[in-house]
Amino acid sequence: MAEMEVERTIERLFARAPELGDADVFAERVQRRLDRGWAARRALIGVAGLVGGVIGASQLIMSNLFSRAEAASSESARVLTSGVRQLAPQAEWLLNGPAGIEAIWLAAGLAVVAMGLVLTRIIEEI
Amino acid sequence: MSRSERHRLSSLHDVELASLAASGDRQAFGELVRRHGSAVRALLRRMGVDAAEADDLAQDAFIAAFESIADFRGEGAFGAWVKKIAARVCMRRAQKDKRLRGRLEANETPEAPAVVDPGRRMDLDEALRGLADAERLCVSLCYGAGLSHAEAAEALNLPLGTVKSHVKRGLDKLKARLAPEGEAMEGQRGNG
Repeated sequence: MAEMEVERTIERLFARAPELGDADVFAERVQRRLDRGWAARRALIGVAGLVGGVIGASQLIMSNLFSRAEAASSESARVLTSGVRQLAPQAEWLLNGPAGIEAIWLAAGLAVVAMGLVLTRIIEEI
Repeated sequence: MSRSERHRLSSLHDVELASLAASGDRQAFGELVRRHGSAVRALLRRMGVDAAEADDLAQDAFIAAFESIADFRGEGAFGAWVKKIAARVCMRRAQKDKRLRGRLEANETPEAPAVVDPGRRMDLDEALRGLADAERLCVSLCYGAGLSHAEAAEALNLPLGTVKSHVKRGLDKLKARLAPEGEAMEGQRGNG
């Protein structure tokens, strides 16, 4: 046989690997390892999120942020209300309506939740 | 996994399964393992790894393949891609595990193989057993895993010339032992 022909024959013989009898069992083992790894990764992300949340919350509490935010929010709400009234008198129905200023805070809260969901999704993708 | 889901996955091409796996579908990757697991395990055994360790390495190789499945672009066959990963996983393990390295890289000539009937067809596994360990390893890496000589030299941490000479000697021995097989294959092609 010519050299090239020998090489091609050897390659063909290597490619013709026999199907092993426990191929399904082997595949299930790999699948289980993948599932375990996936569960561990999710748990790790959850724990990291929890730890981050606890650290963040403790930082907020320790920095006395809530009382400062309360003071600032009443001031900023007054400024915001007057600003909105000046810029968009037609939106008065919103501020004076049944929802009032709470609607703005609710929207802001929803935006924060949405950002949190996006962040969680990005972390999972990574 | 339901039977219909299994059936759906089994009808997909490797590239489609790899694409699903890249989006996190572990069942799709499981189908790829089912298709190519035997070939990867056989390659590792042909490299000289014992059966249990070959299965362990093959599992590691498939896990590594899943982790980097996004790198598989479907330009070549999935089987060839995962075999290369398996060969590299094996070589990395051998660098840490002296016992495995000793088994793979021993440059001993095996005992003279039993006299074979010249007309009898010999299979590759039988023929590989007639090679020295280093020859078998180099031939398996280059012709089984599809590594170039340079890639094999890098994986084995051996000089390129040494790998080339192991491959040459290994091929010469295989040629002598597989000649009836090669002729038979040529004959089949001629008739088909």
